[in-house]
Amino acid sequence: MKSTYVIIAAIVVIAIIIGGVFGYIALSNSSNTSPTPAPTTAPTVAPGSTATPTPTPTSHPSTSASPSPTPTPTATPAPTPIPTLAPAVLNGAGGTLIAPLMSVWQPAYQQAMSQITVNYNPVGSGAGITQFTQQVVDFGESDAPMTAAQYNGLPSGTTAITIPISASAVVPAYNLKLANGTVMTNGLNFTGAVLANIFLGSITTWNDPAIQALQSPSVAAQLPSTTITTVHRSDGSGTMFAFVNFLYRSSSTWATQVGVPSTSPSWPTAPAQIAAPKNAGVAGAISSKDGAIGPLEIAYILENTGQTSLYYGTVANAAGNYILANVSNIGAALQAGASSGLPAGNASWTTVSMIDNTYTNTTATTMYPIVTLTYALVYQAQTNYVQGAALVNFMSWIVNSSQNLGTGLGYVPLPANIVAVDNASLKLVTYNGTPILH
Amino acid sequence: MQFKVLRGDTILKILLATAALFIIGLVVALAAELFLGSASSIHSFGPSFLIGTQWRSSQNVFGALPFIYGTLLTSAIAIVIGFPISLGVAIFISEKLKGHQTFGYGLGIIVDLLAAVPSVIYGLWGVFILIPLLRDYVETPLHNSLGFIPLFSGNPFGYDFFTSGVLLAIMVIPTMSAVTRDVLSVVPNSQREAMYSLGATDWEVTQKSVLPYARSGIFGGFILGLGRAFGETMAVTMVIGNIPNITTNLFSAGATLSSLIANNFGESTGIYQSAIIEIGLILFFVALLVNGLARFMLWRMTSGARGRA
Repeated sequence: MKSTYVIIAAIVVIAIIIGGVFGYIALSNSSNTSPTPAPTTAPTVAPGSTATPTPTPTSHPSTSASPSPTPTPTATPAPTPIPTLAPAVLNGAGGTLIAPLMSVWQPAYQQAMSQITVNYNPVGSGAGITQFTQQVVDFGESDAPMTAAQYNGLPSGTTAITIPISASAVVPAYNLKLANGTVMTNGLNFTGAVLANIFLGSITTWNDPAIQALQSPSVAAQLPSTTITTVHRSDGSGTMFAFVNFLYRSSSTWATQVGVPSTSPSWPTAPAQIAAPKNAGVAGAISSKDGAIGPLEIAYILENTGQTSLYYGTVANAAGNYILANVSNIGAALQAGASSGLPAGNASWTTVSMIDNTYTNTTATTMYPIVTLTYALVYQAQTNYVQGAALVNFMSWIVNSSQNLGTGLGYVPLPANIVAVDNASLKLVTYNGTPILH
Repeated sequence: MQFKVLRGDTILKILLATAALFIIGLVVALAAELFLGSASSIHSFGPSFLIGTQWRSSQNVFGALPFIYGTLLTSAIAIVIGFPISLGVAIFISEKLKGHQTFGYGLGIIVDLLAAVPSVIYGLWGVFILIPLLRDYVETPLHNSLGFIPLFSGNPFGYDFFTSGVLLAIMVIPTMSAVTRDVLSVVPNSQREAMYSLGATDWEVTQKSVLPYARSGIFGGFILGLGRAFGETMAVTMVIGNIPNITTNLFSAGATLSSLIANNFGESTGIYQSAIIEIGLILFFVALLVNGLARFMLWRMTSGARGRA
């Protein structure tokens, strides 16, 4: 018995030494090591495809659009229109912004296409892109379009297709007791510059003249001397990307101090400032502290009507009108922002931001200014016909048949011109060099 | 005897060894993966990563010091509050309730139950109950009366080091008190009887005989509690405020190593992800160190007890 323990102990020591050597080697030739702990071999096929009858011969998706010399396993050439879809499981991962709507879409799609199951994992936009890049999901999802660096990170030879699938708005939510003891309800007025100064820490109390100047005289007189507590997301978030992008466009001080918008911006130091995880955390923090303000996705406020301490304000658009976000004025922003200049699905969408397109637009007088699109990501060359056909069908169903399902939660149906671009993008998706959809 | 059949014992031995080796392999794989993942961050930032105070992911400026500080500070608060309480609970159960075994047993179960509550529940409870309570009835009065002390100088708003420390204290109490209870219960009765025979009071027996006898074991429990406080993620993330800060002011939002990982890993890519994995590596080593220390202390306690008995 003793000897067994000695052997186990020896193995432990050896294992630790091997681990140490392994770590040391990893560090010593770290100059060109990929930072991502990616598995050395890419997953053979996307999960869920086990139920499919088509065997996949290659471990890496064959990505060239031209017919590849490798023999096709079965004699199935890509049929022209989608025939009856074979059973499939689609796995997606990405932003949390779309998660409430995705959970409405999943059962509705299951009803329409009972043989296809869609799983969605709301891991966050950045993680969604990572999982998409590692090819462990059938589709990725992100609130910010893929950046140049993220395009570079794609497996060589592959092309990502960006498909806007929905849109939402970010509102300045607050919890404020007025000087006369009543609670400030919806409708406190803000401009981008004032919001930027609040989050920069240069406006620190609610009765600051800069805030008072935006309000009606009766509200301005009641603004208290309460300290402003700013609340933002502690995790990376597409919601924050939209909000920060708006501040970046609205304030040159913000632009120089904070820099280009990102999903994890480097927030400036304000005197009273906290960060909380997820939209729910931000909402909880705001509603628990008198004088708090923070950016929230509108779906969260609409889901929680009747909250006694959580209200949201208007934001001035480029035409100078104070707009309280609702489905129709978010829709107006989409119309204005997507009227022209939309790239093709297989091109980069970094230039497309509703805010970039609308922050100087003075003709759309009724639009709400902080609006964000959210995108699905799929590979142009699908390596498995059954999966690819199911994926294209699901995306097409989202874009064409189910945009109205989210209006109750503050998601705005895509305008016709974006739907047109989406449909063109879906036709780019190929199997074996032939478009799946015609 | 030439064809020795694999007997049950041998099979069992192989199975058990496999299970043990599997765990060891897991730990090694974990360490290797952390090293690999953080390699590019270690390579580009070197030791300045450990002492940097700025964390600006969009500009690739990474300094882990505020997070190390936050982890140490919240754990220290947790220990300062939690250790006396768990010691008190343990002494009460093992010394004062000796004649009421059922009640002591029940109380012990209730304390242990605290350990079974998922940490996200503690986090929710912290956000909705503990934060307003501490802010209005503890932090604000402290700030108003003792605000001249740097510890209490900040404007209290609930999401801060102090609340996280209190929440952690509640979470480490079951760990620490369970170990302490076990240690006190193995103190031989002869130790107590000897003191009583000299005419000592209850408190003198506990203070001069029981506690010194069990002190290394109590210290082991203390270290285990500390390890729990270091690693706790979800509850702390929900109440700490997540602003990287190095300040003596307890009523200021902060951030810990684990809260940083929980918040940002999902959205990270490239060198940023590598930096976050290096944060994980730091946490891994801190936890390893603390647990190693605890093992060492427990080993000393058991061998010490055998020596004395």
